Amino acid sequence: MRKIAATVLNEFRLFRKDLAGVALLFLMPLALTIIMALIQDAPFREYQDIRFDILWVDNDKGKMALQMGEGLEEIKQFRLVRELDGKPVEAGQARALVQKGEYKIAIILPDGVSAEVVNSANQVANEMGQRMGAAGKLPQRESRPANLEIYFDPVTKQAMKLSLLNALDKQLTKVQAEIILARLEEKMKGEKGDSAGVEPIDLQAKMRAVTIKELSAAPENKINLNTNSVQHNVPAWAIFGLFFIIIPIAGNSIREREDGSLMRIRMIPGSYFSILTGKLSFYVLLGTLQFFIMLAAGLLILPRFGLPSLQMGSAPLALLVTALVIAMTATAYGVCVGSLFQTPNQALPFGAISIVILSAVGGIWVPVEILPAGLQQVAKLSPLYWALDAINGIFLRGGGLQAVWPNLIVLFGFGAVFIAIAGWTETARKK
Amino acid sequence: MLEISHLHKTYRNAAEPSLSGLSLSFGKNIIAGLLGPNGAGKTTTISIICGLVKADSGSVKVLGYDLATGLEEIKKLIGVVPQSIALYPTLTAVENLEYIGKLYGIGSRELKEKIRLYLHAFGLEKSAHKAIRHYSGGMKRRANIIASLLHAPELLILDEPTAGVDVQSRNMILAFLQDYHRQGHSIIYTSHLLEEAQQLCHEVAIIDHGQLVVKGKPSNLMTENSATSLEQVFLHLTGYSLRD
Ligand SMILES: Nc1ncnc2c1ncn2[C@@H]1O[C@H](COP(=O)(O)OP(=O)(O)OP(=O)(O)O)[C@@H](O)[C@H]1O
Ligand SMILES: [Mg+2]
Repeated sequence: MRKIAATVLNEFRLFRKDLAGVALLFLMPLALTIIMALIQDAPFREYQDIRFDILWVDNDKGKMALQMGEGLEEIKQFRLVRELDGKPVEAGQARALVQKGEYKIAIILPDGVSAEVVNSANQVANEMGQRMGAAGKLPQRESRPANLEIYFDPVTKQAMKLSLLNALDKQLTKVQAEIILARLEEKMKGEKGDSAGVEPIDLQAKMRAVTIKELSAAPENKINLNTNSVQHNVPAWAIFGLFFIIIPIAGNSIREREDGSLMRIRMIPGSYFSILTGKLSFYVLLGTLQFFIMLAAGLLILPRFGLPSLQMGSAPLALLVTALVIAMTATAYGVCVGSLFQTPNQALPFGAISIVILSAVGGIWVPVEILPAGLQQVAKLSPLYWALDAINGIFLRGGGLQAVWPNLIVLFGFGAVFIAIAGWTETARKK
Repeated sequence: MLEISHLHKTYRNAAEPSLSGLSLSFGKNIIAGLLGPNGAGKTTTISIICGLVKADSGSVKVLGYDLATGLEEIKKLIGVVPQSIALYPTLTAVENLEYIGKLYGIGSRELKEKIRLYLHAFGLEKSAHKAIRHYSGGMKRRANIIASLLHAPELLILDEPTAGVDVQSRNMILAFLQDYHRQGHSIIYTSHLLEEAQQLCHEVAIIDHGQLVVKGKPSNLMTENSATSLEQVFLHLTGYSLRD
């Protein structure tokens, strides 16, 4: 125990000598976390509350165009641009602007769509009236199919297109249904002979009995979160930054070998195990501290940039244990890298780049759910995947230790493999 | 205090063996010199004695303990001063010595006192809180010796403790070794300075190509080889050709 404590103190002293290194170890990941959260804020919000300008060309000027326009404007995501420089947008102009990429979307309502919808509605009303045995006819003519024209900038994402087409389709159906109902009503009125005073049926209000509501599957209902930039980036880059403690670990262990201090330690009686434990403990504590500093940034600094505050779930103990286990895995990886390479010039680039690769594969850069199915399987080879998944389990799914222990076991497994490789190389080196 | 027999060692990736059947022994309570040209196998022998390097074959007994079974006991009883400075360069002398002392299991109070005494004895008290890498060559050597003394080893093994130090430092170190011997401890040391060995050592062993060439009291070796100095004996026995 005394040896462990002495080693922790010694590692602290060694670490402290390189103040610039200490500062960088803490500040760089902090800067990274803040910058990534800010940069990715927009993409994360893209389909949530970023507005899209839609060029709206109304050549119809009828009821139908009016109602569809109003309907679309009720959707927060879209803003209709009806005029440019005080003049109504024209079809050719709209097409040109989308072509140039200045606008993402243009919708052109050709002349006569309203009339066409009214004609169809009259046809339906007449047919229904006929079947019910009612006399009289609303004016009707042959249908002349008309199209709403919609133009997308080619770079528009598929999800965006679908979302707009759905909205348009919904509006169209709604407007058509309302016109049909109004026509039917008009026809009934004509039958009974009584005049005005009957309110049109508010279809929207009437049909609100069943609606769709999005809820969270997380327990206790306390947590009701959509993932957002902060919620993804803070834990992700905190884990990434934590793994960067392998740089001082590998660097120090190689330097120890080079400057002969390791030789001195090895001549001292007693097993190397307690010394190794001391070294690991120091870096596990350091990594955990660094991780929580990163989370604190999500809690305290990011809201100042107008980003949402980090939600940390409701299991502080599970979070602490998870952080310790992640730090342990990272430390073990550092020891492994330090033992595999002869010089810092070999170990440090390998260490740094391998973390970048493991993080890319493990879903640190983009959530693993977006990756293709094959890559999602590869992600499981990265300890950073299991680390992030555990933190998400606590933060987003509101889980506790009972939810994350399988991840912790996998992380332990990684750590054990790393230490085993280190032990094996060190033994080979003695020969 | 030391019995080595038929020791063989070829390093991994090395073409030539470093030790090829080295056998030698030193008696108790003496200052013994392990001499030989560059690459003779002195450092390799010491590394095997303290467990840093594994021999391919042969046996070693130190202070009555067999290396194969009693390495832990041996480690407690010997102090090895490596040829290279084996200290944390960024830490101060006190920080280095505190850590090493604690790993040897020395109590805090006793350790503090020992560090103070030795730093004083080796003239380092003024630089006690200076990082080792800012030490001069002589100061580094002296700090390197203190680090191997803290646990008061019965047998002190020094690999070229006087290499690259000035006359003052060397005299100080040699005086200390004689003093340490007078306190009842044994010493084995290697050096290329044969005059120094001739003055200091009760017994010397000259090795070359990983084998023992000759062993005996310096005065006896000189008479036997009708030489006036150990250097003449050395050159007579190991030849004039360059090593390594
Ligand atoms: N780690 C190693 N790997 C390969 N060969 C080695 C290693 N250490 C030493 N040798 C070789 O073993 C031989 C003996 O080296 P050693 O260091 O024991 O000699 P030495 O007597 O201490 O020499 P010097 O007086 O120069 O210190 C040399 O040929 C050396 O090149
Ligand atoms: Mg040597």
